[in-house]
Amino acid sequence: MDFFDSLPTHMDYDGQARAEKLSRVIVTLFGVVGLVWGYAIQQFSQTIYILGAGFVLAGIVTIPPWPMYRRKPLDWQKPQPEVPTKFKKKK
Amino acid sequence: MHSVLTRGNAILAYTLSVSACLTFCCFLSTVFIDYRTHANLNTVKVVVKNVPDYSASREKNDLGFLTFDLQTDLTPLFNWNVKQLFLYLTAEYETANNKINQVVLWDKIVLRGDNAVLDFKNTNTKYYFWDDGIGLRGNKNVTLTLSWNIIPNAGLLPSVAALGSHSFAFPSEYTTSRV
Repeated sequence: MDFFDSLPTHMDYDGQARAEKLSRVIVTLFGVVGLVWGYAIQQFSQTIYILGAGFVLAGIVTIPPWPMYRRKPLDWQKPQPEVPTKFKKKK
Repeated sequence: MHSVLTRGNAILAYTLSVSACLTFCCFLSTVFIDYRTHANLNTVKVVVKNVPDYSASREKNDLGFLTFDLQTDLTPLFNWNVKQLFLYLTAEYETANNKINQVVLWDKIVLRGDNAVLDFKNTNTKYYFWDDGIGLRGNKNVTLTLSWNIIPNAGLLPSVAALGSHSFAFPSEYTTSRV
């Protein structure tokens, strides 16, 4: 269990944007190529299979949070020490 | 896009949208194609009987029997948006009762990949050629037409009549022999 908890599962914001863009490009590209190829050999099923291959590839490349989507982590502020309660009460 | 599930959902949804677009492109690429072609039809044996139609009224109606020849090459009709053709042979004629009578005598399914060069000789009809009265005996002008429905992957389901038909006449006497 500790091993699974130690796996990093998040993408940073820049990584999420790139993952979405990349998946769109892959699926669109395979769709266009599939359409051209399917028209060339007059088999629409081949178009759908090629699109399916694009779906699988896009899934492999962009669904898991690969390390390349974690290169620009946000510079979070350090946790601040708790505000003293006396300061609150002053109101 | 912050978790595995939302990314998977986004990709699946986008893939389905793209597949819908591709299917529409496939439809657009075939919607203006002219699916007519020539078919040669001929009748070989034509007789008519006058027998009770037990499936309808028990009255004696005219029942035509015919065998036909059919030659046509349907290979050019197939493309990536045609899964199969449904061929049907129609007899159309005019009687005193009705201005237009249409009877389907025969049909056939041709799948893509099947041999689409058809050459039938002296073929029996599949369905009875009943008239709803006594309009067949001596009818001088009965027209056989071959038509087909095109079953596509996506798009319209057109019904196309072949170029070329065959007109024949029924004999003026009922036949008494068995057919």
